[in-house]
Amino acid sequence: MTPPLLQEIKEMLVEELMLQVTAAEISDEMPLFGPEGLGLDSVDALQLVVALEKRFGLKMSDGEAAKGILSSVSTMAAAITASQPGA
Amino acid sequence: MRLLPSFMKSILITGANGGIGQACARAFLADHPDNHVFLACRHGRAGAEAVVEAFPDRARVVTLDVTSAGSWDKAVAEVMAVTGRVDVLVNNAGAHQDGLLAVMPMEHWDEVIATCLTGTFLGCRAVLKIMMGQRTGRIINVASLSALLAPAGQTNYAAAKAGVVALTQSLAKETARAGITVNAICPGYIRTEALGNDPAALAELAKRVPARRLGTPEEVAGLVLYLAGEPAGYVTGSVIKMDGGIL
Repeated sequence: MTPPLLQEIKEMLVEELMLQVTAAEISDEMPLFGPEGLGLDSVDALQLVVALEKRFGLKMSDGEAAKGILSSVSTMAAAITASQPGA
Repeated sequence: MRLLPSFMKSILITGANGGIGQACARAFLADHPDNHVFLACRHGRAGAEAVVEAFPDRARVVTLDVTSAGSWDKAVAEVMAVTGRVDVLVNNAGAHQDGLLAVMPMEHWDEVIATCLTGTFLGCRAVLKIMMGQRTGRIINVASLSALLAPAGQTNYAAAKAGVVALTQSLAKETARAGITVNAICPGYIRTEALGNDPAALAELAKRVPARRLGTPEEVAGLVLYLAGEPAGYVTGSVIKMDGGIL
């Protein structure tokens, strides 16, 4: 069973980016960008940055760091967990 | 038919002291009792303040220099402090410095590009992340018929407004997925302070228009209201001219 945070991120991806796949079809390590993965583009990335800040309070000011965080559902979950108070 | 859906209530209009800006503000305020309008002005606020006097609970003048990113941040923060959202941005501020290019002072070029084009860019940038977070928003850029006609003596203004048209079309592609529409309107001769008050000159101008009259600020406001409303949800990246048939 998928942990709640990973599931929430997958559902956010589908909802916010209006993806034509279900949350269940997105694996934890699937690359979000590029032909091997979900195939998101830079417009999706900006939308994702806004959604992550709004929903999880995750701020990404550094472009390089954002690139790493937005690699997969797992990397986003790790960044969200690390940004929580007491982490 | 009510044009604005219930979630639309926070509207920011630049160049709001001018005839078109005031007419837009009044149109939004009259359209729905939940609408709040922020009239952004740099110099001269008498016209905008008259609108606030008529709608003191829902209209407010904000100070904005559209050419300054910092000024945009402050103005948008003021809007957010009052309503917590930005549903509609009308980029209406503009400036003319007409003259032949061969003798055009650099500052006339810079001023017009800064106000018309950079101002529009900064305005869009200032509200975009907010609108993306809302997953809805309407941006209406007031360009000009000059963007399409490119008359002599207006190289700076025509280039700036053509830039606004291209910016609109490009940005619309970036924001469509986020539920944000971006459109431009190109008014022709509209009866505002920019055309002066000389009846003979205005009549002469009207003769150049196939409709044989000048447009009114209220007609421009009607188009802006349409583009801000629910029925225009699929209209984005569009450039709509309203010129009485000139082009």
